[in-house]
Amino acid sequence: MLEILKKTLKAGSQTTKYPQIPDEAPEGFRGKPQLFPDRCTYCGECAAVCPPNVIWLTEERGEKTLTLSYCGCIFCGRCEEVCQSGAVKLTQEYELASKTKEDLLTSIRRKL
Amino acid sequence: MSVEDEIELMGQRLNEKIKKIFGRSLHIREVDAGSCNACEVEVNALSNPIYDIERFGIHIVASPRHADMLLVTGPVTRNMELALLKTYNATPSPKLVAAMGSCACNGGIFGETYASGGGVDKFIPVDVYIPGCPPRPQAVIFGIMVALDKLPQKIGKTGVKP
Repeated sequence: MLEILKKTLKAGSQTTKYPQIPDEAPEGFRGKPQLFPDRCTYCGECAAVCPPNVIWLTEERGEKTLTLSYCGCIFCGRCEEVCQSGAVKLTQEYELASKTKEDLLTSIRRKL
Repeated sequence: MSVEDEIELMGQRLNEKIKKIFGRSLHIREVDAGSCNACEVEVNALSNPIYDIERFGIHIVASPRHADMLLVTGPVTRNMELALLKTYNATPSPKLVAAMGSCACNGGIFGETYASGGGVDKFIPVDVYIPGCPPRPQAVIFGIMVALDKLPQKIGKTGVKP
């Protein structure tokens, strides 16, 4: 009995304080992908390799648009791997919950 | 206000919100609609001593008739389609639906095929999308917080007092 009590006091509380204190993901965690508009060449490599097809490259009225939806993204990191200009980076951010699908879209565009 | 301050504020409000709306008890029914079980492992982790969602008064229950909220995982396969609809109809109103994981949001890696429905929102109305493959337990806690924001509107619409 005393032994168990000793052990418990030594271990202390292991519960995370998460909602009160922000919890950072460990290094190497694949979270929300971020697009860098100044580095992107709009080659469409990332759109071609994306397994769940959540990256699209569209062309409209002389404007190229690269759209990424976090809704359906499996955070595999293939886009980051194939991008030669380093325009896609996976961040540590994981708090992505949202009420609408439109909030989960992100896009960058450039005039030709 | 930085993002961190905002999150901190949200955390403080979570306890108050659950206390006010539900009298310190939000009951969740977890529905596996053809998931690969990675999401279920994360839901299991929610009730372990590290994440411990029972400290907020959130419980996972065994029947949809006891639940206030459905936590749906998986892309809704053809075999689980009817089961999901039955579970939704068995849940008393006002009810919340959270689509957990990329498959439940959009079909994810399974996409939309003969056997896979391609997202929960094609079958039942979804209140909150929690992307991630699988989402971290912290991300699920965050998703539940977002879902609770929507509840006062729902109660107003149905006129049912919880």
